[in-house]
Amino acid sequence: MPPAGRRIGDDFVDDSDSDVSITGLDEEPSRSKAKGKGKAIDRKKKDQGKGKAKDQAYAWEATYTRSWDTVQEDEAGRLEGAVQDLIARGRRRRLLAPAAAIRRTIIRHLVLVLDLSSAMMDRDMRPTRFDLMLQYAREFVTEWFDQNPLGQIGIVGMRGGLGERIGEMSGNPQDVLKAILERHKLLPNGEPSLQNAVEMARSSMSHLPTHSSREIVVIFGSLTTCDPGNIHDTLDECVKDRIRISIVALAAEMKVCRELCDKTGGQFGVAMNEGHFKDLLFELIPPPAQRAVARTGGGPAADLMIMGFPMRLPDTSPPSLCVCHSQMKSEGFLCPRCLAKVCDVPTDCDICGLMIVSSPHLARSYHHLFPVKPYSAVMTLDDTPEPSKRCHGCAVAFKEMPSTMLGASGEGMSFYGRYRCSECHNDFCTDCDVFVHDVVHCCPGCGK
Amino acid sequence: MVGPSIRIKPAGESSKASTVDGGETSHRLIGFLLSQPQSTMNRLYQKPSSCLSIFRLLQPLERQVVMNLLWLETPIPGATMAAWVTREGKRPYQEALSTLQSLHILPQQSTRPGPPQSVKHNLNPTFKASLRQAITGGGTSGSFGILAENDDKHPAPDIEALDAFALERWETILYYMVSSGTGQFPAKPSQGVLYLLQRSGLMATVHGATLQITSAGFQFLLHPPHEQLWELLLQYLQMAEERQMDLVEVLSFLLMLSTTELGKVGIHTIQFIAQVTQALPHAQSYSTENLSATQKAMLEDLRDYGLIRQRTATSRKFSPTRLATTLTSSSPPLPTSAGTGDGSHVQGFIVLETNYRLYAYTDNPLQIAVLNLFVTLKYRFPNLVVGQITRDSVKKALANGITADQIISYLITHAHPQMRKNKPLLPVTVQDQIRLWELERNRVKSQEGYLYTAFASHADYEWVLDYAKKLGVVLWENPSKRCFFGSVEGHMNIRGYIERRSAGNA
Amino acid sequence: MDKPSHLSVIVDLSPTQWAFCAQSTAPPGLPLQTFLSQLLAFLNAHIACKDENTLAVFGAFPGQSVMLYSSTGEAMTSTTEATDPNTYRPFKTLDSTVMSSIAERFNSYDVTEEEEPIGLVGCLTKALCYINRTISVVSASAQGTEGATRSIDPRILVLSVSPDQSSTYIPIMNSIFSAQKLKVTIDVCKVFGADNVFLQQAAHLTGGAYVQIERTDALLQYMMMSFLPPPAIRQLISVPTQDRVDFRAACFCHKRIVEIGFVCSVCLSIFCQPVPVCSTCRTKFPIKTLQRLNASRPLATTPSTPGTPRPLTQKNGAALPRPG
Repeated sequence: MPPAGRRIGDDFVDDSDSDVSITGLDEEPSRSKAKGKGKAIDRKKKDQGKGKAKDQAYAWEATYTRSWDTVQEDEAGRLEGAVQDLIARGRRRRLLAPAAAIRRTIIRHLVLVLDLSSAMMDRDMRPTRFDLMLQYAREFVTEWFDQNPLGQIGIVGMRGGLGERIGEMSGNPQDVLKAILERHKLLPNGEPSLQNAVEMARSSMSHLPTHSSREIVVIFGSLTTCDPGNIHDTLDECVKDRIRISIVALAAEMKVCRELCDKTGGQFGVAMNEGHFKDLLFELIPPPAQRAVARTGGGPAADLMIMGFPMRLPDTSPPSLCVCHSQMKSEGFLCPRCLAKVCDVPTDCDICGLMIVSSPHLARSYHHLFPVKPYSAVMTLDDTPEPSKRCHGCAVAFKEMPSTMLGASGEGMSFYGRYRCSECHNDFCTDCDVFVHDVVHCCPGCGK
Repeated sequence: MVGPSIRIKPAGESSKASTVDGGETSHRLIGFLLSQPQSTMNRLYQKPSSCLSIFRLLQPLERQVVMNLLWLETPIPGATMAAWVTREGKRPYQEALSTLQSLHILPQQSTRPGPPQSVKHNLNPTFKASLRQAITGGGTSGSFGILAENDDKHPAPDIEALDAFALERWETILYYMVSSGTGQFPAKPSQGVLYLLQRSGLMATVHGATLQITSAGFQFLLHPPHEQLWELLLQYLQMAEERQMDLVEVLSFLLMLSTTELGKVGIHTIQFIAQVTQALPHAQSYSTENLSATQKAMLEDLRDYGLIRQRTATSRKFSPTRLATTLTSSSPPLPTSAGTGDGSHVQGFIVLETNYRLYAYTDNPLQIAVLNLFVTLKYRFPNLVVGQITRDSVKKALANGITADQIISYLITHAHPQMRKNKPLLPVTVQDQIRLWELERNRVKSQEGYLYTAFASHADYEWVLDYAKKLGVVLWENPSKRCFFGSVEGHMNIRGYIERRSAGNA
Repeated sequence: MDKPSHLSVIVDLSPTQWAFCAQSTAPPGLPLQTFLSQLLAFLNAHIACKDENTLAVFGAFPGQSVMLYSSTGEAMTSTTEATDPNTYRPFKTLDSTVMSSIAERFNSYDVTEEEEPIGLVGCLTKALCYINRTISVVSASAQGTEGATRSIDPRILVLSVSPDQSSTYIPIMNSIFSAQKLKVTIDVCKVFGADNVFLQQAAHLTGGAYVQIERTDALLQYMMMSFLPPPAIRQLISVPTQDRVDFRAACFCHKRIVEIGFVCSVCLSIFCQPVPVCSTCRTKFPIKTLQRLNASRPLATTPSTPGTPRPLTQKNGAALPRPG
């Protein structure tokens, strides 16, 4: 399929373009497969939320289709209120989407495979596919390390029919970013080879312990792959090694890509435009739900590890030798078991072998384990004897009158702009609702 | 108008650049206070409200130094204080100390020889006691103004009325200034104000009677309201001395005004003013009872400037307006000067396009008049004025003594929020062109001198020209026409030389 | 450089701890009344520094977190009519509002009840919500004026007297991370009691100051020098930072603060002893690992009680342990 056929116009909504129907259809099965049984309830909710979107090709379209119908001017003839309402609704919808998947892989290993073939010089995404990919890849790495602090990333490029190691597996975001910093070293040319790249990624993860996750994320712009052997053999090897392959394609769907993802439990998506590309890529950031145990049954996938929490010495303490570099330094971390001084954490103590991590490293991922329950929208104040006047979070006063403007019902919107915690029964405003669930991950009312 | 960030800078390339050092320039009043003798300052420091206001005008670092020393009972060795200063902070810290010393907040160090380590820091005891009192409250100074009893017959004006009053007074002054040359005759401010404008050199009498705006006055118009206000007040302070008013009384009254309150709660928050005004429609009014004679005399003047409002001239109560209460802060001193009553206009109202076209969302005559200084206005709509920046309009402004940088910084300060998304804020082409137009004015330089022509022979010409060149006074020469132009300074010598030569030939 | 700054103060008002603090002799005691008057002077000083400075005061009471005052008028319960020509009115409003709302809470407090854990987490999250809200308001109105820099520097100051509650480990850590995201500095002033492991980490991770008050009579001076300067000034005049940062965590099973823990590889839950099944994600651990870990476990490591300082940091008497 030529890439040009995939171009998005404004007039294709009722067009039965084959591409459109493919993306529309295949999203659902792949997702349900990927997330397993635990997500059944979750999906039902999502379907409700999407409801209207079903019969349209793209979810994002539903949000803004004929938005002028829903927008009404207020008494003063201004649109401000209505626009704010729309924005609030969009945020709210995003919030309702994710739900608790309690078992997630947190020590992740990922190889990011970048397509550096000449197909990447296409300008259908501005400025070019290649520049956009680099930019998003950098943002992806930063965000990924933010959410998976104990993980490691390696980078492999596909160029001139070969796989090319661009960055070694590393747990340091700076190292990884440095590897993809210089544009001129990565200039695209030749054909890509999916098999070579996947093999190279697989070999760099073969030594990893069993309990860690292994993932390959491919950004693929070409419509061809130039392989030395049978790529299906490689696929079987990956399934055996429990490597999960996810692909974000920039051009169109290819059978082999779809199969790579489906067989290994990864996600596959074709980017429709710049924004969608980013969405697809960033969907891969949250730790995937853990299903390894359920599926394979055999083999110890999980393990209990012993870790020590160090004490940090300030720069003003008397200098002493560190055990890792044997240099005189005043700052450092003390191993809690043998009191040896190491320069940086997380690391393994060179003396007693204890894994030393600081508690913030671990704690960064806890919000995945204990997410705040979604607040319910307050639809009526009749059953609350004394409704609070102010938001329990930021203490800004609620609107006195319910917004009568648009048919705000459904989609989890409250007429009153109030959202109630099911645990502590406090009311929150829209801003705090989003902030608590997106950032703080802790309800100000009940502290959970 | 949002913050102190945007100041007029000689070479303000962008708002970013001026943000960096914009905060460093100290307040105008501080500059005035620096020149005051110690006895004046000590008397001023007796009032807690004055101390508080002056403290607020200091630079952040100076404030921190004061705060570090405020609660210490005994002097602290300079070395101990300096130990907290980081390497980058050394120079600013020394400057802060010396400013504080000049303000007599820190006593002057005697210049006796000795290692600098032996220096001990302690605050001026008067200042220390007063500022402590200001912060902890209590005392009997009554320096924060005595509230008037609530009077049912004449309730205090509400905040909207006060704002309107202040705005009306202030814009009257500015509008008078801006339209003084145009032949229109808008409402005249009071005599006192006119005198002040004249004294400060913002306006001058030409042709005997009529007051005309001066080039300083044009520049003044483009300043942010805060600076305008202080410029006038400083002038007022200088006049006070001549009028035999007690400077300390005047100053402390002004500073007291700056600590008074418009509403009852938190006027010191920009973003919530709207809410506060809704909740508390009535403003504060203060009693004139314990003011001194000088201060009572000042009431009239300040009323003319729009700083305070009294119901009648003899009323025993006065209400400070927003102009007064924001004297020591950087929140906007005038409520929505755009006048359309829409909150978004506090930010700015000017949209400037790369084609030199300018759209100003305003219906305020003053702002239109100010724009008219350097824009050719084309159309006028109920809430919008459209104009074009042209060579002629800018040259007119330049001729009035306004500089290109002032125009640019005015445009930056009043740029519409939509414009602020651009980077750089103003179209570079327009900025550059305005600067070029300014340079254009400086293209021709006039110099006085003499033209020497009609030399008898080429040899004569060469001789004289050589001599003049040796003196370095030749400005222009044209051998084919046998003439050159020499500057005034060289004329006597050249003339003498020619005379001697022709005498020798004769 | 001269930007307005926002300060959210969180005051720990546990009656029991303040009673201990007032009676304490080893470091001379500090009655609540004296503390509050010094605190008010400090708050006034913050407002005094700049007219645009904003302030919010949160009280952490047993089982409750309350906004006592905010300069934007959100928590105003009563406007005091008392006029005093000797005091700057914002100071007056601040002082009386804070004092009256504290008094109100204390009066309604039932002494006979067993004291609930202090509502520190609620305060922290509320302060963050408040800052998030205020900043978004300001940045919306002044967007782009200063390019990337924000027009307000927000800070949080925690004045703590209570010991660590290990049950709040996860919420506190989550708050710290959100503070980092919002670029909020968290300062911690430990007025009384032993070092607070989690708050120490909070100050360290957000680049704030952590000060353990050694001389209670100089509390005000400590506060003025360490917590008054906004971040811009701190580049010129440094503020005291902590000596050592304790990076210990609390285990999920007994809420003990541990220095060596056993961590589930799937969900990173921390346990103080080897367990066969992860209580969070229900992962079963292999028997071999359990045996190995049990064997290698040093006999000396009796799980330390919460709030107990490490041997290295032995300082003032340890606070009473509270069963999780």
